[in-house]
Amino acid sequence: MFESILHGLRQIAGWIIPLAQAAEVTLALSVISVVIGIIGGVFIALGRISRGKILKRICGAYIFVFRGTPLLMQLFFLWTALPLAIPALTMQNRFLAAVIAFSLNSAAYQAEIIRAAIQSIDPGQMEAAKSLGLTYSQAMRLIIFPQSIKRLVPPIGNEFIMVLKDTSLVQMISLVDLMKKTNQIQSSAATALVYLPSAVMYLIFTGVFTWLFNRLEKHHARYE
Amino acid sequence: MPLIETQNITKRFGELEVLKGISLTVQKGETICVIGPSGAGKSTFLRALNHLESITSGKIIIDGEVLDDRENGINKSILTKQQESDILLEMGMVFQRFNIFPHKTVLENVALAPEKVRKVSKADAEKRARDLLETVGLTDKTDVYPAKLSGGQLQRVAIARALAMDPKIMLFDEPTSALDPELVGEVLNVIRKLAQDGMTMLIVTHEIGFARDVADSIVFMADGLILEQAPPAEIFANPKNEKTKSFLQAVL
Ligand SMILES: Nc1ncnc2c1ncn2[C@@H]1O[C@H](COP(=O)(O)OP(=O)(O)OP(=O)(O)O)[C@@H](O)[C@H]1O
Ligand SMILES: [Mg+2]
Repeated sequence: MFESILHGLRQIAGWIIPLAQAAEVTLALSVISVVIGIIGGVFIALGRISRGKILKRICGAYIFVFRGTPLLMQLFFLWTALPLAIPALTMQNRFLAAVIAFSLNSAAYQAEIIRAAIQSIDPGQMEAAKSLGLTYSQAMRLIIFPQSIKRLVPPIGNEFIMVLKDTSLVQMISLVDLMKKTNQIQSSAATALVYLPSAVMYLIFTGVFTWLFNRLEKHHARYE
Repeated sequence: MPLIETQNITKRFGELEVLKGISLTVQKGETICVIGPSGAGKSTFLRALNHLESITSGKIIIDGEVLDDRENGINKSILTKQQESDILLEMGMVFQRFNIFPHKTVLENVALAPEKVRKVSKADAEKRARDLLETVGLTDKTDVYPAKLSGGQLQRVAIARALAMDPKIMLFDEPTSALDPELVGEVLNVIRKLAQDGMTMLIVTHEIGFARDVADSIVFMADGLILEQAPPAEIFANPKNEKTKSFLQAVL
């Protein structure tokens, strides 16, 4: 009994390094995609609430397409289509394909989050800003965005955790992330024990980021 | 030359005609109070002057410049965007619900627009903001966030914030109707002081006693029209229009 526990612990210790290396891919992919997604999401959200009819349609269609098709399909599509569109790339550029797919997808979800947050701000704030002579972009930058941040942080935190878990899809294009590595170890060592350290790693990531986002939310609600 | 002149302004929201031809002039230094029943179009009129709504037809002339000259919503005025925003800056607006920026301190609320729009240096903007906050009696609140203030204090910040842009005209849309009764006085006193200092003001209000005190002229609006305009002594003692009569009977 004691012997087998010790054996298990020794096995787990041996997996930590390879799992951690693969986890870098998971973490990098999630963070980069969510950050690019936020930037893209801001512009798509602004397009959605703008007066320009065509712009509004384009941004609406973007969101419709990326939320309405499977993420896995978007991933496969970009992985196979990128080398065709850009001859310098091959299907070996797995990480790039994944970053682009996850960023584009995340931008669609975050655009809706950001739009909802902007529209939840009292229209009187924009009117006051306008009546003081601020331009639309000044009003957005100085008055509306700063107030929407505290409403943005919790849903973007959720989105981040979803993306972090969804990145496990990249094993389908043979990119070695935490999930793929876990499966590789599982099949060669023929033990389910590897899921334990792997799950703990996912939980550490989601736990740390949940804590970070909570701090951020409190920070941005300080003036209330 | 009047500071504000409107000629036959109309405003439609879809099928609903809210302003049906408003012609009004406000001379420099004049205080005009606008009274009238709910839905008369009083707010819409003020908002149209400040371009928070665009009018359907008619003319708006501010300080001699034709800001709007519209027919079916299309503006024939030949101003550039820059000229237009310069003219709009001559009007400061105070809202019923204050619309103070909650994420900025009191001082930042007042100093923001001079700094960002007029490009005044931060130090100068803040110095001027402190002076203005002193005149509205809020010296001790400069570094406080708005959440800590009463409605009356918020509205005084809003007045200081509008004044910080050095407008020639102040527009007030029911500045005291969101306030608890005991806080109304402090705000009215600030406005009264502005009137004494010669500010040109257009004030929509339900405070009939205040209007009688402070106004050079009272405008009675109902159903999108100005039905009567006269000095307070005259309109309160001797209203000519039947609707004015019954409105005043109800509120006095
Ligand atoms: N954005 C809008 N869209 C449609 N109708 C509107 C809009 N704004 C105002 N109205 C309508 O225009 C009419 C006049 O409104 P307005 O707010 O100007 O009246 P008011 O005289 O200020 O009334 P109150 O004393 O209640 O503030 C009302 O019937 C109102 O429902
Ligand atoms: Mg009104």
